[in-house]
Amino acid sequence: MLLKKRAAKINEFTFGSLLNYMVLAILVIICVYPFLNVVAYSLSSNRAVLSGKITIFPIEPTLNAYREIIGKKQIWLSMQVTIIVTLMGTLIGLILTICAAYALSRKKLKGRGWITGIILFTMYFSGGIIPTFLVVKSLNMYDKLTSLFIPSAVNVFNFIVMRSFFRELPESLEEAAYLDGASDVKILVKVFLPLSVPIVATIGLFYAVGYWNDYFSALLYIQTPEKYTLQLRLRSLLFTEELNQFGGSLEGLGNTVMAESLKMTCIVVGTLPIILVYPWLQKYFVKGIMLGSIKG
Amino acid sequence: MKNQFSEQHLKGIRKNQKTVLFYIWRDRWLYLMVLPVLVYYIVFKYVPMYGLVIAFKNYNVFKGIHASEWVGLDNFAKVFSNMHFWKAIRNTILLNISTLFVNFPLTVMVSLLINEVRSLRFKRVTQSLLYLPHFISWVVVSGIAVKLFSHNNGSINNMLNFLGFDSIPFLSSYGWWVFTYVTCNVWKELGWGTIIYLAQLTNIDETLYEAAYIDGATKMQRIIYITIPMIKSVAVVMLILSISKMMSIGLDAPLLLGNTKVMEVSEVLSTYIYRLGIIRAQYSLSTVIGLFQSVVNIIILFIADRFSKLIGEEGII
Repeated sequence: MLLKKRAAKINEFTFGSLLNYMVLAILVIICVYPFLNVVAYSLSSNRAVLSGKITIFPIEPTLNAYREIIGKKQIWLSMQVTIIVTLMGTLIGLILTICAAYALSRKKLKGRGWITGIILFTMYFSGGIIPTFLVVKSLNMYDKLTSLFIPSAVNVFNFIVMRSFFRELPESLEEAAYLDGASDVKILVKVFLPLSVPIVATIGLFYAVGYWNDYFSALLYIQTPEKYTLQLRLRSLLFTEELNQFGGSLEGLGNTVMAESLKMTCIVVGTLPIILVYPWLQKYFVKGIMLGSIKG
Repeated sequence: MKNQFSEQHLKGIRKNQKTVLFYIWRDRWLYLMVLPVLVYYIVFKYVPMYGLVIAFKNYNVFKGIHASEWVGLDNFAKVFSNMHFWKAIRNTILLNISTLFVNFPLTVMVSLLINEVRSLRFKRVTQSLLYLPHFISWVVVSGIAVKLFSHNNGSINNMLNFLGFDSIPFLSSYGWWVFTYVTCNVWKELGWGTIIYLAQLTNIDETLYEAAYIDGATKMQRIIYITIPMIKSVAVVMLILSISKMMSIGLDAPLLLGNTKVMEVSEVLSTYIYRLGIIRAQYSLSTVIGLFQSVVNIIILFIADRFSKLIGEEGII
């Protein structure tokens, strides 16, 4: 009873804590404002965009920019490419990472120290951009979608997180299953995976976001515009004048203004999927990161 | 007697041989699970390491790595005598240090602020929103940044004009460009960086605070004498880790935020390698730069690890 009272007093609301809340609230606003601003721009009319007075509320709201985007084949083509790459990359990444992390987390496996060493060494030393590029080229992957997810299939960091997680699960689980005559594969699938949903979700999120946002691989390996990923497409829309061709009949000033709200609409379309899955998955990843910080 | 001994000896050997094969057979599924990943690392990480030999060759696309002729250190001489190379190194370090200088103290401070929040709901919402920018691609972040910071009709300059100030050339003057670069980096990674500190802070025993409170410690004193010592070692390790990455820099941010006007400060090692190697197809020269970067990185890492152990912290390797 006394302790509770004291605890309550420690946590009492003071001027300091009010200040604390205010500072954090300002930080949150700084974090969120650009997003809301972009959305507001994408929903505003040409005239309002030109006036430059848009904050977080659309002025003279209109869906024109969105209508225009829907008609743009390039964007949807790139979206398709990115979805394929993200799905394939995440799936392959998860399977490979889970298998390797599970096997290398088993104490009975002979030579696991060496194998783990081979994997971890690549964190500290690498051949670099050009030699990797030459390998991808010599494997005939250049300008193919496989170049976007095979050369980056397994991430060392994700592997470490996964392995730490498997190592911390009690060994008795495995022993019991062995006595029942289960094979290693069966133990992984039937016993360990059901216990690993949060970590699998975290790693899956990391892979998926990585592939969705990846722009460098596409920049390096993709040449044909039809195979552009969403990020590469966004870049060519945002940073060059390609959008002017989009604008159609509008000339001069009107054209650049249209481009501005179109650009913002592109950003919204390209980011929306991440924002949509984020709330569902974010409860898992803090734990994942914590595990990752425990060194391998 | 002699015979018996050798028989036993043989048995022992046989038993040993059996055990190695026995283990491989017993764990065949586990080895099979590792195999694809091992192949992946060999093909995409170790073969490129072999590919580093083109730094010492005059690489010819048609001859391939093996048949291209050796040129010794010629490529190194060429690279090291190039002014652009040294500029790229200077810019890499400049941008990394400026970012670290702002990001590191801010991350620690924000972690402390979040840790002091008592309302769980406020805490959760704040954290979620602060982590969000980490998941946004650099293309989008730069797109937004260019819109906000641009000289003509950029939101920030509009606001400055409205308040009666002159426009600031955020994207076209050297100094301001570095400011913009750092701001974007901090905006994107600040929240995410707090996770590791907050993880450490949740381990603090509440009774420590209660005891301090009973002894009459003020809130500030409790933070200084309990909270800060608890995260000191994480902070030191994180700091050393970032310093050991001084020579590596992502390509996305400098490439996307940069423009021809600020090339003088925005051209870093990764963008330089990209432009030289991929766009101008100077494979050997750009490999020299990559190799130089990797070697310097690993040297700094070893020094940092030693230093970290020297001051009584955990090693970072």
